[in-house]
Amino acid sequence: MSAAEPAWRAGGCHCGGVRFEVLTGETVEAQTCNCSVCAKTGFIHVIVPESRFRVTRGAERLTTYTFNTHTARHTFCSTCGVKAFYRPRSNPDGWSINARCLDDTEGLSITVEPFDGRNWELHADTLAHLSREAS
Amino acid sequence: MTRLAGACHCGAFTAAFETTDPAALQVRACQCGFCRRHGARTVSDPAGRLTLAFAEGATRRYRFGRRSADFLICQGCGDYMASVMEGVAVLNVVAADIGVFADRAPEPMVYDSETPEEKRARRLARWTPVTLEVRP
Repeated sequence: MSAAEPAWRAGGCHCGGVRFEVLTGETVEAQTCNCSVCAKTGFIHVIVPESRFRVTRGAERLTTYTFNTHTARHTFCSTCGVKAFYRPRSNPDGWSINARCLDDTEGLSITVEPFDGRNWELHADTLAHLSREAS
Repeated sequence: MTRLAGACHCGAFTAAFETTDPAALQVRACQCGFCRRHGARTVSDPAGRLTLAFAEGATRRYRFGRRSADFLICQGCGDYMASVMEGVAVLNVVAADIGVFADRAPEPMVYDSETPEEKRARRLARWTPVTLEVRP
C-alpha cells in the first residue's frame, strides 16, 4: 500500500461503547462550527461520503438530541456523553465524524478551518464535495 | 464576587460560579481521553463557590479511571458540565458557555503520572467549593 492510499481509521466515544471507522487519506480537511451545539464541545468535523463511514459498535447506545425545529439530529453516547459522529444537515449524503474521537491521528495532516454553522444554509455548498462519492 | 451563570444546551443543567476575578483564573485543557473528546475547558476557584442545579434522573454520574470523581453529563443533550468530589468541583466553561472565558487560551494539563493521593490533594486544593441542588 502506498502512503497516498486511504486507510480505515478507528475511533469512538470515551467509554468504548460506541465505535466507528472512517476511510481517509493522510491529508484531511476538517471544520470547526460556531453553532450553539458544536460550540459546547469543540466538535472538529471530518465530513466523508456514506461509503467511507461505518459504525462498528454501539449504534443502539446513542442518544439523539434535537431542539427548536427538531431538524438537526445530534447523537452522543448515552453513557459518556461524547459526540463521536452524526449526519450533518449540510451534507445529508454523508457523515461527520469528530476528529477528537479518532484513536490515533499520527501520520494525519488535519487542516481545521472555521465554518459558519450558524448560517449553514448560506455556505453548505462549500462542503458539498466532502460527502460526494468519488466517481 | 462576580457571579457567572451558564447552562447546558437543553437548559436542564445550570451552573452559577461565584469568583472574585475571572481574569485571574487559569483555564485548563486536561489532555485525558475524556476531556479531549468533550473539548472541555475547566476553571476553578478554591475561594469561590459553584452551585450546580440538575435533575438526578436526567444526569449521568460518569466515573472512569481511578473512579474518584463524578463527571456530570446531561442526559438530554450530552454536555459534560462539571466534575464533583468531596464537596469540591470543577466547571467546564465551554459546555456551560461562560462568555468571559471564551477567548482565553487554555493551558494543556497532563495528570497521567499522578498517584491517587496526589490527584485527590490537587483537586481538594484547587477545585471550587460546590453546592449541589439536585431535584429528582
